Amino acid sequence: MHWVVAVPMALLALSCVYPVFFTVNNALKDNKGYILNRFGIVQDPSVQNFVDAWGRAHLGEYLFNSVTVTLGAVVLLLLTSSLAGFALAMLRFPFRRVLFIVILASLMIPVQVVLVPFYRTMMGLGLINTRFGLILAYTAFFLPFCVYLMTAFYSRLPREMVEAARMDGATLLQIWWNIMLPMGRPALLTLGILNTLYCWNDVLISLLVLQKERTVMVGIAALRGEYTTNVPLLCAGIALAAAPIILLYIFFQRQIVDGIAVGAVKG
Amino acid sequence: MARRSEQTTALLFVLPAIAMVGIFRMFPLVWGFLLSFTSGDGQGGSVWVGIDNYRQLTTDTAFHDSLINTAILLATLPVWVMLPLLLAILIHQGVPGGKLFRAVYFFPAVLSAVIIGSIFNVLLRYDGTINAALGSVGIEAVDWLGSGTTAMASLIAVALWSTFGMSVLIFMAGLSTVSSELIEAARLDGAKPAQIWWHVILPAMRPILEFVAVVTTIGVLTSMFGLIYVLTAGGPGTSTTLPEFLIWMEQGKMNRPGYASAISMVLFVGMAGLAYVQIRIMSRNANG
Amino acid sequence: MKTLVLSLALVTTALPAFATELTVWDWKSGDPAAAAYFAKAKEVFEAAHPGDTISYVMQPNDQYYTLLGTALASDGGPDLFLLNGGAQARARFENALPLDGKLGDLAANLAGTADFSEATGLYAVPLTIQGFVVYYNKALYADAGLDPAAAPKTWDDLAKVCAAFIAKGTAPCIALGNKEGFGMEFWFSAIAASLWTAQEQADFAAGNLAWTSPQVVAVLQGWVDANAAGWFPKGANSTAKFMDEYEGFMRGETGNTIGLISDVAHWKQFDEMLGAENVGVFMMPAPGGAAAKLPAAGGIGYAVNKKSPNADLAVEFAKTLASAEVLQVFFADAGAVTANTQMDTSSVTSEAAKTIFGWLATETVPMAHANASAAQLEELHRQSQTLLNGEVSVADAAAAMDKVGK
Repeated sequence: MHWVVAVPMALLALSCVYPVFFTVNNALKDNKGYILNRFGIVQDPSVQNFVDAWGRAHLGEYLFNSVTVTLGAVVLLLLTSSLAGFALAMLRFPFRRVLFIVILASLMIPVQVVLVPFYRTMMGLGLINTRFGLILAYTAFFLPFCVYLMTAFYSRLPREMVEAARMDGATLLQIWWNIMLPMGRPALLTLGILNTLYCWNDVLISLLVLQKERTVMVGIAALRGEYTTNVPLLCAGIALAAAPIILLYIFFQRQIVDGIAVGAVKG
Repeated sequence: MARRSEQTTALLFVLPAIAMVGIFRMFPLVWGFLLSFTSGDGQGGSVWVGIDNYRQLTTDTAFHDSLINTAILLATLPVWVMLPLLLAILIHQGVPGGKLFRAVYFFPAVLSAVIIGSIFNVLLRYDGTINAALGSVGIEAVDWLGSGTTAMASLIAVALWSTFGMSVLIFMAGLSTVSSELIEAARLDGAKPAQIWWHVILPAMRPILEFVAVVTTIGVLTSMFGLIYVLTAGGPGTSTTLPEFLIWMEQGKMNRPGYASAISMVLFVGMAGLAYVQIRIMSRNANG
Repeated sequence: MKTLVLSLALVTTALPAFATELTVWDWKSGDPAAAAYFAKAKEVFEAAHPGDTISYVMQPNDQYYTLLGTALASDGGPDLFLLNGGAQARARFENALPLDGKLGDLAANLAGTADFSEATGLYAVPLTIQGFVVYYNKALYADAGLDPAAAPKTWDDLAKVCAAFIAKGTAPCIALGNKEGFGMEFWFSAIAASLWTAQEQADFAAGNLAWTSPQVVAVLQGWVDANAAGWFPKGANSTAKFMDEYEGFMRGETGNTIGLISDVAHWKQFDEMLGAENVGVFMMPAPGGAAAKLPAAGGIGYAVNKKSPNADLAVEFAKTLASAEVLQVFFADAGAVTANTQMDTSSVTSEAAKTIFGWLATETVPMAHANASAAQLEELHRQSQTLLNGEVSVADAAAAMDKVGK
């Protein structure tokens, strides 16, 4: 019985690995070789496309921007959402529910809906063409979900912990830093991973905010031309851009799965 | 007095999040609402046109079709939740190779829409791999992405494929937390495996099911653009045009930001009912 | 005190003069075939205007107009921006500086200006000319028992060619990629070019020739008839014109394809992939007996943002971009057909290209689809797909087109 379901599941798994094969295989071809033989295994592999993608398409520099912005946004997201989640879940204060609902409601606004006003706001604040601006933009866009998850996570923890710490004379800030942040580790890990993915793969927000410096996914989007696209070069670019994320996933697979487990489930 | 200062501190803790959301999301939303009552004046500025944009929407067939397509998409949501659940259950029950599957199913979620789109273009085109495979067993070729009857289904299938791994992971995690004493007790009471699943495990999983349903709904309503662009460009006709895609087109190619804003607002308000239900679910889970 | 004020005034007036950076948006400057041209323009301009610099910002092609619209609507646009001629250009004229009388000697040497103009004037400097011709694979013609040297001249000739391809049964006659509706755009303008009179072209451009008129219906009917007769491959609606259709042609899978002469020249690519001796070219005929004509229009061009604080300097740079000296590089690298008529094309060796340049030098006719509005083109894309799928009749499609405002 097990084998009957295992076969289709294995096929599905195969389909999930196929893109990786497709990308790397085609990245090793030259353009003519690709056009004449799209599906076949590469005949005489060359790493020229990787060299071109890194240098001529500037993906090397763009990677640096992506790393900076993703790291900055993820750190900011984790700090603000854990701070807000702590307050929303454990402390009593006026407008608590209203504020929570406002944050949840903004989850429903897609980027396209607010393109022009968002851009003007960014411009008015002088944040266009700055990495800091993009970090703030990412934080704002991905924050609602993070706040929700952290609130859900913290509300399952015993409130007595906070009370006990207060009896010992700790300030709320100390309690957050010394107790809530460490306790929130599994949920924070989940959010860290998810948001790294979102920020890294984003194209539209990055295009709007960072027009002179680029992030790596924008660099790749720009490899698709109006009339021609050099698919092998594009594949090489995609492989370079996805490599850090895939490596991260393989490397931290255990923690990711556990993190999602605890983070999502406890919520 | 201590109470007062705690309240102030708590507000200060929420302030950074509220400020971000307020400045970068709520404020632009309100601004967009105002924009939806304007139209370009042909001089690079804009003029107030009242509800003209909304009136125009009532006769815009592309817009109507995009709403119908959204309804179709939402109708498939149970599949988006149940399929990963089924896979998670099978892996949990120890299907051979389950560990490997769990790891590999996550791969598509890492890849960008561009590469997923390119690959499925190649697979689904008329002279593509899938038709070739069907042909070898004598089934007639279908223009998966090019015919009005199959394009939406194909698009949904690809989108589902590219995100199901994440849900599988979450369900796996959920299953591992269902208390084993509960299952053991049911077994001692003589419950069959199917009964245990239905009466013990699934009820315990309810928060997770809701969580996945919420995340998936938000996902399908706000992030299908990339795949639509690469796979079908909204066609054939309007059969894969979703409001999100229409907004992009009006904003970009047609250069009508006012009209695009009007569509955005209808989309947002239309989602409000849905959002209300979700907020209820989410705040219940959060305040449990 | 006085000297302080004076020197402050000097500083404030002098600063912009020696540190102006022009921001230029496009979707091409990173393209290897175009890169040398853009670099040359920058180099020439910066040498002539010491201290001023050019900063190209290349946007991804698929998001270009969304970003441009957003930036312009927010008063945060670039100093210069690249536009496609026709509908896309007209949708942005409200943000562009009128250029009449600002181009000096260059104005007399520019072709394709109509597609960057309105009644109120010229709003962009055209760089290239775009046109549609049919390329054919001579080897496949021979395979199908046809004379590779005899390109079709009339609709009947074309019908015979396609009949031979269908009889042979190994390759579709006319390649078609209509996923984005571009297949229809090319078909529409190529057929209309040979079918319509100059007056009808002008009427269509002015919005006075209804889509339900016999002249327009004939073009749509031709599309449906050609499909019914089996001229097109199956699955056109899921095939992207760029580049699935052309890649298939380059693999030798299809006999004919309606291709481009533009800032990218298909003859160059096709010569390279199929061998120059296998690439033939003809002008698309139309049903009925009229002589085939070449539709051509302004391809891409630069507009100056009317809100740019450096508009004068931006106009200067647009002139540099459109100068024969700089465009020569574009022609050499990409085979771009330039809007500047002072270009020297004598160095070209491709037979197909020589034929095309011969046609271009004589008379060309308007490119009909470029005179439709952006909203009409979008609806045409949709209708063309449902027409191919047989989900709508030609009469209903034409009626639906008439409902879309110009």
